[in-house]
Amino acid sequence: MPSPTVANVRRRVVRWPRVSSATLIGYAFVMPLMLWLAATILYPLVASVALSLQNIKIIGSTGEYVGLENYSRILESPRFGEALQRSAIWVVGNAVVQTVLAFAAALTLKQRFVGNRLARIWIILSWIVPTVVVVIIWRWLLSASGIVNYALVNLGISSKPIGFFSTGDTAFASVILINSWRWFPFNAVIFLAALQRIPQELYEAASVDGATTVRKFFHITLPSLRPVLFVMGLIGTLMSFNVFDVIWLLTGGGPSGATTTLPVLIYETAFKRYRLSQAAAMSVTTGVILLIFAALFLRFLSPPSDTDEE
Amino acid sequence: MAHRLRHAVPLGFAVLILMTVVIAPFYWIFSASVKAPQEIIARKPTLFPQSFTLEHYDKLLGHSNFPTYLQNSLVVAFGTMVITVFLSTLAAYGLYRLRFPGRNLLFRVILITYAFPGVLLLVPLYDMMSTLGLVDRLVALVIVDVTLAAPFAVWMLQAFFRTIPQELEEAAALDGASRLGIIVRIMLPLAAPGVASIAIFAFITSWTEYIFASILIISDANRTVPVGLAGIIGQYQVDWGLLLAGATVTALPVLVLFGLVGRNFVEGLTAGAIQ
Repeated sequence: MPSPTVANVRRRVVRWPRVSSATLIGYAFVMPLMLWLAATILYPLVASVALSLQNIKIIGSTGEYVGLENYSRILESPRFGEALQRSAIWVVGNAVVQTVLAFAAALTLKQRFVGNRLARIWIILSWIVPTVVVVIIWRWLLSASGIVNYALVNLGISSKPIGFFSTGDTAFASVILINSWRWFPFNAVIFLAALQRIPQELYEAASVDGATTVRKFFHITLPSLRPVLFVMGLIGTLMSFNVFDVIWLLTGGGPSGATTTLPVLIYETAFKRYRLSQAAAMSVTTGVILLIFAALFLRFLSPPSDTDEE
Repeated sequence: MAHRLRHAVPLGFAVLILMTVVIAPFYWIFSASVKAPQEIIARKPTLFPQSFTLEHYDKLLGHSNFPTYLQNSLVVAFGTMVITVFLSTLAAYGLYRLRFPGRNLLFRVILITYAFPGVLLLVPLYDMMSTLGLVDRLVALVIVDVTLAAPFAVWMLQAFFRTIPQELEEAAALDGASRLGIIVRIMLPLAAPGVASIAIFAFITSWTEYIFASILIISDANRTVPVGLAGIIGQYQVDWGLLLAGATVTALPVLVLFGLVGRNFVEGLTAGAIQ
């Protein structure tokens, strides 16, 4: 390091504070949150790798280093693979149902009608209430003596009340529909905002050219929504993957494991079967799978960027 | 006229269906929660209550642990709200109002934490809280809930912070206002609807949170509403009246708070996503 000359020192005194103070101040504002997130996300992530290499069963007990044993056990037993498969069905099912419902809702809300300002706000009601409330609502509606079964029986659709949560397929379909009911309004308000940003002139010009409604949808609406669909596709998938409480409180992962997605399996393994290290290994493996998914998604589905960010 | 009508009828129908799908289930539990027990389980459901009773609410608030759960949830939600507002407002000011190298990277990192599946943190966070001796303490829930709420709060604030003209800040700086003075006297009042929205978002996030609350809290006296209410569901004999009253009381604070900031809330929600 060269010894500081007078000129050097002076330049530092004059320039250094100006350049760095903005940076320092900027970091000072963002740092508290970053440190908080590092302590509660980054550190636990690293810790879960360490946990996954031991054989801890109940928290608080000490374990020994067992290498990759937990990982090989996960890959050998069918439970993890089955849950992964169910998670995939869960994510795709939710994405399809929610996108269709959200689109229909957004196109409806875009029209003018009395009270549409209120409707555009209160539509997300099902998204903001606690999951436990959603669960009670739907257990009540779908119970043997509930309104849905009453309607099905009286309309002659079913001869006797349906036990929605008693067989694997109906239970899985029910939890997907219930979760979609909870989430589609959230997607709808975002689609709506995106729809409102499409210049009306595009549609008018297309009408002049004689385009049909369907053509307009595929040539104007859908391409304009591509960036939003991309963001929702990625973030929505990760958030929907993460859903645990709706499933757990409606079915407990059953009947006989039919609704045990990965989050349910991790929860169960750690806190019902007390295999903490094994659950940690499942978390790490799941994290890697999601990371690969996100990377592929970004790589192949990124919309052509306008790079006018900021 | 005929043309307008042709448009209006299907539209009215679509709006009706949409609103029924979203709102009717809420009406259904609320109306059932004031029915007498025999009417709740009557073979033929009644659209409008034929009987009126507050006995389920009386049982819920007077003869169960629900008031304790409510109190715990309120403590955790207020704690989460205060810390989230503090951390996110600071970060949002830095990210949206200041220019410094690395700003975009930090913004992206916060976005990633927002999409990060919390279930992957279940095991290690439990381990961490156990090491810190925070298991079965409400502060553990506050810590987790802030992590769940803050990244999205930063994202929501974008809509409110970006629209404030830079000139206002510059003018205040010329008048000799300090950085802190600028934030407190200019930014916060102008971004007030946004700050109120994220405060309520943080409250709702915490009020709703189930999974961490179910593992980090052991004793019944420290349970929050979602876990406490779920415990009532799990009892062998389902007491629908009690559950429906519980669901109504649990949903109520969320509805009131959302009613206060609904429009700004939805604005903040959407503005981030379509930028």
